Amino acid sequence: MKLKSVSIALAALVVAATVAVAANPARQAILDGYAAKAGSQPSAARGKAFFFATHSGGKPDATSCTACHGQDPRKGGRTRAGKPIEPMAVSVTPSRFTDAAKVEKWFGRNCKTVLGRACTAVEKADFIAFMAGQ
Amino acid sequence: MLDDKIDQRRNDHTIVPATEGAPVTTARSVIWDRVVRVFHWSLVASVAVAAVTGFLAGAPWIDVHVWAGVVAAALVVGRTVWGFLGSTHARFADFVASPTVIVAHLRALMAGRAQRHRGHNPLGGVMILTLLAVIAAIVVSGGLVLGGTEKAGPLAFVTTFAVGAAARGVHEVLAFVLIGLIVLHVAGAVFESGRTRENLVRAMVDGRKQIRRGDHLSQEKPARPLFAAGVAGILFIAAAATIAMLSQRPGLGVPVAKVDTFYAAECGACHTTYHPSLLPRASWAALTANLADHFGEDASLDQAATARIADYLAANAAETADTLAANRLRRVDAAKPFTITATPFWRRRHADIADAVFASKAVGGRGNCAACHADAQSGRFYPGNIRIPTEARP
Repeated sequence: MKLKSVSIALAALVVAATVAVAANPARQAILDGYAAKAGSQPSAARGKAFFFATHSGGKPDATSCTACHGQDPRKGGRTRAGKPIEPMAVSVTPSRFTDAAKVEKWFGRNCKTVLGRACTAVEKADFIAFMAGQ
Repeated sequence: MLDDKIDQRRNDHTIVPATEGAPVTTARSVIWDRVVRVFHWSLVASVAVAAVTGFLAGAPWIDVHVWAGVVAAALVVGRTVWGFLGSTHARFADFVASPTVIVAHLRALMAGRAQRHRGHNPLGGVMILTLLAVIAAIVVSGGLVLGGTEKAGPLAFVTTFAVGAAARGVHEVLAFVLIGLIVLHVAGAVFESGRTRENLVRAMVDGRKQIRRGDHLSQEKPARPLFAAGVAGILFIAAAATIAMLSQRPGLGVPVAKVDTFYAAECGACHTTYHPSLLPRASWAALTANLADHFGEDASLDQAATARIADYLAANAAETADTLAANRLRRVDAAKPFTITATPFWRRRHADIADAVFASKAVGGRGNCAACHADAQSGRFYPGNIRIPTEARP
């Protein structure tokens, strides 16, 4: 009886946490905005491939997202100047992708650094979809 | 007493050279009192520590160096008091002689008939005064260097960088002069030991020397230890209180304003929040004009944010501060006007640090000042605040 109620409570907590992560309204709005512009459903799988890919066209010192963000989105990264970067994974850093201006600022800077161009709405939506599931 | 009278009589009529004076007894009497001996060897120790930390050890040893100087200064002050209130041979009156007497002693010495002094002879007296004066001057000039260039200590609030930098030259020259004097002092002690057939170094350890007929006689004076301790105590307390009080004052030309939070948030997101006093206005202007290509990355900000940061940097640039970093980093590398690590000063100061240290995980690059400089954000860069992370050491 006791065990049952504990497991129910635990399950409820897990569900609540999952819902909170997945459905942070601010993040959802940002994601929906990019998806609407892209005109397609965001794909976490494409986002993953994008994150780990080696790109060309950008600055020679940073040719992939992982150069600074590290190989594991759940772990932090480090800037080229030695400053720690908080993990991109939403499960570890729940505040990720909740401030539209900040998201635009960093996509703007980092896409130009790594790709040498602005990212498309598809790429942005995929990226957020991938990180939201991490 | 009787011996003294005999000596006195002989002294009045004939001068007995040191080499001829027979010991009155085989027992050795106390010539250097305990205060003199403790002072002497403590000064040796403090000067040795100051010399090693000043000439050989790196900048992070500055606090040990400064404390060695403080101890030396306290010893010189204490010895000066004891020179008026100590026992017979501790007193200045016993060994400070007029030029005529010094020349006469020198002539007698060369003629091989100089008297033996139980305390310092006239030449030794000159050396003692010179040593005390030079050490005092080294301490004062060191205080000016510390105050003017590092903006620390009791003189920081009145000393400009220019004065501190000039004092540094004086401090260094005097340090070499002191080494020369120490060599002469030891040579004099060795020479006199041979001439009078008595180990003077040992005498400075146990304080004892022979009493011989024909010795130059001193006017006996009783020590006044309580009076001396009182005078020295008052001097020390007054000096310590004054130094502590003045050291609290903000250093002249040290930036006091807290680093702007907007600047710190925007620029500090990627790298150490470089204090605005670390580059001159022209360099900051060139940097903020091209954030899209910022050390190999795009660091662009919107126009309003860029303007706000540019204004802040211009208003607090190196020209507005008088710290060592602001004065030296102002001279930038013309080809890389806003690369702090390319400035001649930066390169000189970090020349001894292995590449592996910068490449280590704990440091993560030459631009990460705060990895080793605990006070990097304030722009102060006091050498005593340098700690190279142990895991970064090769």
